[in-house]
Amino acid sequence: MNSVNLQMNRWKWRFSHHTFFATAFSVLYCSIVLLLTTISGFTADASAGFDAANGLYEQGKFAEAASAYQQMIQSGTVSAAIYFNLGNASFKSGQVGRAIAAYRNAEKITPRDADVRANLQFVRGKVQNPSFSPSLGQRWIAVLTINEWAGLAAAVLWIWLALMAAVQLRPALKESLRTLLWCSGFATVLLSGCVGAAWSGNSTRTAIVIVQDAATHNGPLDEAPIGATVHDGAELSVLDTKNDWLQVRVDGGRIGWLKRDQVALASGM
Amino acid sequence: MVKLLRNGWQMLNRGRGGLWFALLFVFVSPAFSASFTASLDRNTIVLGEPVTLTLKFEDGQPQGPLSLPVDGLRITSSPEQSISSVFSAGKQTTVYSYAVSLEATRVGEFVIPPFNIKMNGQTFSSQPLKLKVVASDPSAPPAGNAEKMAFLWVELPKTNLYINEPVVVEFRIYLRSDVRRYGDLQFSPDGNGLTFSKIAQGQQYQRRVGNATFTVVPLSVAITPVKTGTVSLNPINGSILLNGRDPMDIAGFFGPPTRPQRAPLTAERMDLQVSPLPEEHVPAGFNGVVGSYTMTVTAGPTNVVAGDPITLHVQISGHGALDTLSLPEQTGWDNFKTYPPTSKINASDPLGIEGSKAFEEIVTPQNSDIKVLPPVTFSFFNPEQKQYRTLTQPALPLIVRAATPGAMPAIAATHAENPPPAADVISIKQHIGTVAQISAPLVEQPWFLALQGVPALALLSCVILRKRKESLENNPRLRRQRQVAQLVQEGLEQLRIQASENQSVEFFATLFRLLQEQLGERLDLPASAITEAVIDERLRPGGVSEETLTSLHELFQTCNLARYAPVESGEEMAQIIPKLEMALNELREWKR
Repeated sequence: MNSVNLQMNRWKWRFSHHTFFATAFSVLYCSIVLLLTTISGFTADASAGFDAANGLYEQGKFAEAASAYQQMIQSGTVSAAIYFNLGNASFKSGQVGRAIAAYRNAEKITPRDADVRANLQFVRGKVQNPSFSPSLGQRWIAVLTINEWAGLAAAVLWIWLALMAAVQLRPALKESLRTLLWCSGFATVLLSGCVGAAWSGNSTRTAIVIVQDAATHNGPLDEAPIGATVHDGAELSVLDTKNDWLQVRVDGGRIGWLKRDQVALASGM
Repeated sequence: MVKLLRNGWQMLNRGRGGLWFALLFVFVSPAFSASFTASLDRNTIVLGEPVTLTLKFEDGQPQGPLSLPVDGLRITSSPEQSISSVFSAGKQTTVYSYAVSLEATRVGEFVIPPFNIKMNGQTFSSQPLKLKVVASDPSAPPAGNAEKMAFLWVELPKTNLYINEPVVVEFRIYLRSDVRRYGDLQFSPDGNGLTFSKIAQGQQYQRRVGNATFTVVPLSVAITPVKTGTVSLNPINGSILLNGRDPMDIAGFFGPPTRPQRAPLTAERMDLQVSPLPEEHVPAGFNGVVGSYTMTVTAGPTNVVAGDPITLHVQISGHGALDTLSLPEQTGWDNFKTYPPTSKINASDPLGIEGSKAFEEIVTPQNSDIKVLPPVTFSFFNPEQKQYRTLTQPALPLIVRAATPGAMPAIAATHAENPPPAADVISIKQHIGTVAQISAPLVEQPWFLALQGVPALALLSCVILRKRKESLENNPRLRRQRQVAQLVQEGLEQLRIQASENQSVEFFATLFRLLQEQLGERLDLPASAITEAVIDERLRPGGVSEETLTSLHELFQTCNLARYAPVESGEEMAQIIPKLEMALNELREWKR
């Protein structure tokens, strides 16, 4: 009798154990399937929307295509390809400034994409001056992206600190590592400076003119006298803001105020 | 590398009753875009007050002496030289400044004529400078203010302006003569319908208000109305911190103590009437510039092949808002390809409303029929004369030769070396790619910044480790203390094993060794020199408790006894271990 009871208990334990694991596995499986289904459904929807927008572009309906890409971005679907195609559609529909803004966004996601760079350079070539032209130093800093500068500086910093740690643990290495220590220390300081410069440039706000012609005013008022005229696609560094007005540097010596709705704002130079 | 002939100019000054100073330059720095300005720190002074004349040379130094006789003005200080370097737009500019203090010997209006200097082989001229010397201050504050330690007085030269006409407002901070130090100035002018330049602090000077003498700290701001009608300078509610004494002033340390106090700086709202520009007789091409200007135009080369670039230099000098000044669209340039001009402001005052603005424009004649560079016109409204003025530079003769077949113009030839430009944008992408958001740069990501702390922490750990190691190496007692502590810990484990395995001889040998090691460490003696005798000789006088001493005696005696009558029982040996532990612990806590 005791033996039967024992076997029954063991069976019950096994049954309950199996049930628990089976239930947990089922829940996990269902969750994964649901997640994958959701993701694939989302991706499928995004791809369908992307293909539809591309279709409009291929039919020459550039303005409609630009709206479709814009809607995708507003709904939270963002990729370098969407921004790239939005740039193309905007450019083809005559909106040079919006094209530049889109290419700049694409460049932020894939900074080394040759197509993005080529199109951005091409469209910038169509912009009528005055527009921002970077200095020699700014051009040099722009050779690498801010993340590339940061990664490089971090790597050199780690090497420098590792060498210093090695010297602490084995003082006998100090003489043989002296040159390497100085070089890596100097490189760390130099690269940190580059990171700072890149970050400063990245923090600068740029106003991209998105209307055909925009007149700059001498003050942040409609009645203020008109100064220079800037054109669609001009990239101007923002100096100040007041209500719905932005103070911009037009070129080397000129500054003026532009209305907020005449420009698209972007970060970085 | 400047040598000043101080005696020379003092003697000349006395001899001719005028203003002379001379600068001899041993070294002339090579420069390509030199410029020169002269300025006074104030345009109006009261008789007896000094005024500072500053000569600034950018990217160059004058060759030979400078002299300027002005009847009624004399120099009261030797020239002060300063050199500064400015790095802007990828270019370094070196500015040499020379400042001398002038004083008037009579009331009147003086005009310091332009300085003509030679620099880097070129001749430069400064603007003529006007100085008005009055017998008394027309804008002096009321004598009732003499009671105050500090106060603010606003000098607004005019209240009726035209739109876009800049005017300099002077905010004068009066500090009574018993104020030795001041700081923490809380002051920010603001207004409605006005734009403000940066604040520039002028040279301090002395003024009398009532029966008290005050030091005046002038702060100047250029304001420009940007709308018509009534605009206003908002009321000012600022303050300044006054310290009677400098804490670092050793000479004044023994005087009566003074306490810092904050003095209010207030001014009431000021209204200005802003008129629109007249609508009659507006010149063609007028682009809203208000002020008083002159214009010079040069161009070169003037003998070119069609398609070659010609650089047009337009310099507009005078008084007005230089930063917003722009060249109007020029007519008659249809046969030229024009490029947007670049500009450079060369302000002679810190507020940027006096000086010149130079425009440089590249133009290329398109055919050989062109005989002249068209006239350049610039119109502005002069608020003093209340009328529009148009400056016109007559057409400049030009020789344009036809381009020979096969020869490319300079610009085209340069471009021909580059790859041909793309005809259109690269087509759209067919795949959506990875869906990703535009994320903040790594340097703004907390995890990335925190990650950089890892090697720093590792280095810190290594430094601490090394310091501890060095400290141990330099402290043999501490080292022995740690070694003995380790030995005792291992020995106690060994005792337990030996007790459990009934290894009597080994057990008591270990016990004896532990006692020797611990006592040797505490008494700073070799372990081999420790016997039972040290208990009474060294520990008892040292103040060890009687209980511990008894316990140690018993342990030594047990060890001695075991040599002759070994204990066989493991339980008996195990009972000794706690006693040993207690004795060793008490020894460790014993302070010699």
